[in-house]
Amino acid sequence: MNISLKNVSFSYTDSIDDAILKDINLQIHSGECVVLAGESGSGKTTISKLINGLIPLYQSGTMAGDVLLGDKNTADMTLAEISKYVGSVFQNPRSQFFNVDTDSEIAFGCENLGMAPEEIRRRVEKSVKDFHLESLLGRNIFHLSGGEKQKIACASVNATNPDIFVLDEPSANLDLQTIADLAEIIKLWKSRGKTVVVVEHRLHYLRDVADRIVYVKDGRIDCEWTPAELEAKGPEYAANLGLRSLNLVKLHSCHPRAGGDLPFDSITFHNLRFAYQNKHPIIDISELSLPQGKITALLGHNGAGKSTLAQLVCGLRGSWSQKRAARKLGTYLIMQDVNHQLFTESVLDEVLLGMHPKDESAALEILDGLNLKNYAEKHPMALSGGQKQRVAIASGVSSNRDLIVFDEPTSGLDYRQMLAVSATLKALANRGKTLFVITHDPELVLNCCHHIICIEGGKIVEQYPLLGCQDKLVHMMLNMGRNR
Amino acid sequence: MKIDPRTKLFLAVAANSVILSAPFTYSVLMVALPAVLLLFERKCKLVFAFVLTYSVAGLGFEYLKGMDLGMAGTLVVATAMLAYRMMPVCVVLYYIMVSTRANEFMAGMSRMHVPNKVTIPLTVMIRFFPTVFDESRAIGNAMKMRGIRLFSLQTLKNPFAILEYRLIPLLVSLTKIGDELSVAASTRGLAPETKRTCVVPTGFHVQDVVVFVYCIAVVTLFAYSRMSV
Repeated sequence: MNISLKNVSFSYTDSIDDAILKDINLQIHSGECVVLAGESGSGKTTISKLINGLIPLYQSGTMAGDVLLGDKNTADMTLAEISKYVGSVFQNPRSQFFNVDTDSEIAFGCENLGMAPEEIRRRVEKSVKDFHLESLLGRNIFHLSGGEKQKIACASVNATNPDIFVLDEPSANLDLQTIADLAEIIKLWKSRGKTVVVVEHRLHYLRDVADRIVYVKDGRIDCEWTPAELEAKGPEYAANLGLRSLNLVKLHSCHPRAGGDLPFDSITFHNLRFAYQNKHPIIDISELSLPQGKITALLGHNGAGKSTLAQLVCGLRGSWSQKRAARKLGTYLIMQDVNHQLFTESVLDEVLLGMHPKDESAALEILDGLNLKNYAEKHPMALSGGQKQRVAIASGVSSNRDLIVFDEPTSGLDYRQMLAVSATLKALANRGKTLFVITHDPELVLNCCHHIICIEGGKIVEQYPLLGCQDKLVHMMLNMGRNR
Repeated sequence: MKIDPRTKLFLAVAANSVILSAPFTYSVLMVALPAVLLLFERKCKLVFAFVLTYSVAGLGFEYLKGMDLGMAGTLVVATAMLAYRMMPVCVVLYYIMVSTRANEFMAGMSRMHVPNKVTIPLTVMIRFFPTVFDESRAIGNAMKMRGIRLFSLQTLKNPFAILEYRLIPLLVSLTKIGDELSVAASTRGLAPETKRTCVVPTGFHVQDVVVFVYCIAVVTLFAYSRMSV
């Protein structure tokens, strides 16, 4: 099914003057895979909302121009009608589930289309097989990792068998292996003649799948390449546009690293163990050493137990004595969703809250170090995602914690934002903080980490300093979990 | 054990009508049913905790209610009564929540010809409870890490601050999740005008009959005891 956007402008307000999209013209042909790339806030997600009908049918605002699916104008359809043709997968895996168990979730779209139960069962089975989800059936969605949830979301959309798939940053929470699985899924869709539209910063997995990369800038379509054309322009060109690498295998050569001399003083944890009631342990590590004042990356595929390990290290789970030990050591977790850890009415209060004794000038100094000084009086919830993250970091620094754990600090960030986070991490390490970073982001690891720990099935399978092992790292990240 | 959502609704109505007004014996008879059903959902620990608190609160209340105990005593009795009256209601609702899938619930409601306009918000509510707990736990974790505790000198001095710390992030994230949830549901074809099907077969079985008969028996016994007084 063809998609065509004709002279589309859209504004989230009443006036078309402050439009986020300006005069967009885009033709996407049946069977094509098109990537919408661009920096955060460029309007690429808004374009995807035009295609799945959320604009103008759900989102309020002002729109001009027409969006046609085949020969039908989306403005004349209902969302339920559009859902027969367009399947959408969103970025946040926590909030796109209507059901609590995985089986029902995969069947959900089909049920809404009123298919016969027999047919639904057949389709669910096929979807599960296509995406290798056998092990996730019959599970509570609240107990799945972000990547597992995202796979369920894809399977669910796949089951309704629409003509068009719209994916909004689907890789944000996925490990590289799962991202490779996602690429396979997209290939499968393409081979069945489906049209696929992907909004994405990370381009590497789309290199062999995408037909076109459309670059959106300030609400306009700026330019357009095939993946080969973009790659030919070189990595600096893409980086300047805020795009992530097209080719991970070539990554290591563009990030020369310094530092990493062994041995280090270490912060060591003993006997980290955790299991849900009566089940096999999720984490079973007898010794975890983190080099002091350095940045250690924690790698592992989706569901390997990374977040659980982080919570153990921070004393949020585990036995009473473990919790006490963590508190004594002084650990701090920067959560993936930083909204959870901002409580007060101003950025300054946020920093002062955990400070004993309270010292306003010291707090301002911390804020200054994180480029937040001008926002001291602002409400934390009014800030952008990156700023919120830095406020959370500031509150960790102010409460004098020596070990700061980051849970996927760069998920969903474009290249520039990733570099900013990387710079913040380096600055913290320079101040003597020990950092432990859960991540799936090879570019972040190569940019700032000193040491690598890889876990699998709750156990440490490998650890080594990064210096001189860049090739090994990229290779490992690409192959992680392949034999799970 | 599979029980039809319609039976569960009947159970909720029957349980509420007895529990809120009946003497101890009838309440126990009524509460026993969802407790046993929860055992089938493998919530053994919870059932044990419930039976223990419920018995203590119930027996305590029945034993103490006539006595003159002064201010403090009355407070204790009132708390016991609250626990003893309210807990069973919560247990019934909890049972329905953990044992019913969203699609089953919607299918059951549509079989009773309840319009989608009523069913969809109700279903979203069921889906929302675990989200609230999940979010609230994450926020609690964040607070713990900051050293803000529910019971400490600091919070005693400023009890509203703790409410604010807990509620503001919760409200912000729930509003966002609620919005994203409805976006996800509507792009997947859930709308008031859709005619849904359901993969999980719904229908009445032996166990449903047992639940019905049991509930009716208890309610009748209770009504009869009231009338003969």
